[in-house]
Amino acid sequence: MSSQSRRRNAVVTGLGVVTPHGIGTDVFWKTVKEGGSSLAPVGKEGCEHLPLRIAGEVRDFDADALIEGTFLVQTDRFTHFAMAAAQLALNDAGFGRADIDSPYSVGVFTAASSGGGEFGQRELQKLWGQGPRHVGPYQSIAWFYAASTGQISIRNGFKGPCGVVAGDEAGGLDALAHATQAVRRGTDTVVVGATEAPLAPYSIVCQLAYPELSRSDDPQRAYRPFTTAACGFVPAEGGAMLVVEEERAARERGAEPRATVTGHGATFTGASRWEDSRAGLARAISTALAEADCRPEDVDVVFADALGVPEADQAEALALTDALGPHARRVPVTAPKTGTGRAYCAAPVLDVATAVLAMEYGVIPPTPNVFDTCHHIDLVVGRARPTELRTALVLSRGLMGFNSALVLRQGSVPSPE
Amino acid sequence: MTDQVDHQVTIEDLAELMKRSAGVSVDPLILEEEAGSGWDTFGLDSLGLLGIVAELEKRHGTGLPEQMERCTTPEEFLAVVNGALAKGA
Repeated sequence: MSSQSRRRNAVVTGLGVVTPHGIGTDVFWKTVKEGGSSLAPVGKEGCEHLPLRIAGEVRDFDADALIEGTFLVQTDRFTHFAMAAAQLALNDAGFGRADIDSPYSVGVFTAASSGGGEFGQRELQKLWGQGPRHVGPYQSIAWFYAASTGQISIRNGFKGPCGVVAGDEAGGLDALAHATQAVRRGTDTVVVGATEAPLAPYSIVCQLAYPELSRSDDPQRAYRPFTTAACGFVPAEGGAMLVVEEERAARERGAEPRATVTGHGATFTGASRWEDSRAGLARAISTALAEADCRPEDVDVVFADALGVPEADQAEALALTDALGPHARRVPVTAPKTGTGRAYCAAPVLDVATAVLAMEYGVIPPTPNVFDTCHHIDLVVGRARPTELRTALVLSRGLMGFNSALVLRQGSVPSPE
Repeated sequence: MTDQVDHQVTIEDLAELMKRSAGVSVDPLILEEEAGSGWDTFGLDSLGLLGIVAELEKRHGTGLPEQMERCTTPEEFLAVVNGALAKGA
């Protein structure tokens, strides 16, 4: 890149999280840093008889206190989470109405992979139980993947570029790439992220066919990736929204860049073909590092996909070796999601938020419920590891075969020579 | 359901329906005062109006004219619905 390059930098200025550990980054980070786990027996009404026993549920989320009535009646729980997380992120960024130059300068991108299952189930039950007249008109919008992008835009009056990424779990990272592109192409501010609420009975039944789903009934043993005891993943709800801004626009309104999204790569290797995901993930990592102008040894921490399926874990460890070379054995790898569960496409976005916090605090949070690993990686277990962090690599793979990698640098990154 | 009172929709009924079907909170007194204003004054969107019509059809056990969904103000809406219910009674 030439020194004359006037590339617009996409920097993170705000984080909002709604998670099984709690709501807001303060309470979330406290538990993450301590390696706490919020996995517990599924407590949702109507789920008692289902063979999914353990999940990461968001408790104490008071939608009525956070969302206006007009939005509540027409949205699912996943959109309630998204609206609440977006507001937390905007507050965190100190971005208020007065900071909006033009409604067209603020965009919204979300990823979604399970939609509004709870709302959909309720209305479909009315359809076959009472008849079509009993189905509310908001069914037509509430369970769609696009609901959260639309409702965040409407609620805040944002009219800039917007989009919805339906790209499997990895779509969460792809949404951040889209947001970064939007900023580079001229939009000053983008609210971006993903939230999921896949723990209604209907949604759980949809997941029971996944061979990767953990059937364990022990919260401490249900989700233990990179170990010989790996028996699948635990699903979760919640997620994260971020405020990503053009660096100069952020500084002009007095906001400090907290991290820079510098690289992204994505590939596809087929549903549940975990051995093949090795090459796909390695390629995504290499692409992301090249775009970020990073060498493998620049990576200070890896937030792993950590599916918890032995062949998938093996493929991920090998992908790191393929992409990072000898550095793969030295770089610390962590998977805080073993304490929250895996909220599908919201999981990697929560990892991005965690990576930003980890770089700010100079601490790598550990992998809860995991004490050793059978792979040749330096997995951070037991307790948090204090260390200076400049560059984080976040990985995600989807059950349907999508692989993505995202590179984040702490603070703002000076333009390359 | 055969009670005569059931065949008229009042401004209070409409306020209650707006809350129930569309999550819109409006004081019936204000709704009456501003009955000539557009639905957006109260924050009601077209899907919300559709829900209110469907709810009224359920309550009264009868179909209502399509034009109801095109009514732009509470005043017009009440006139049309009560006209239709009176005819149907």
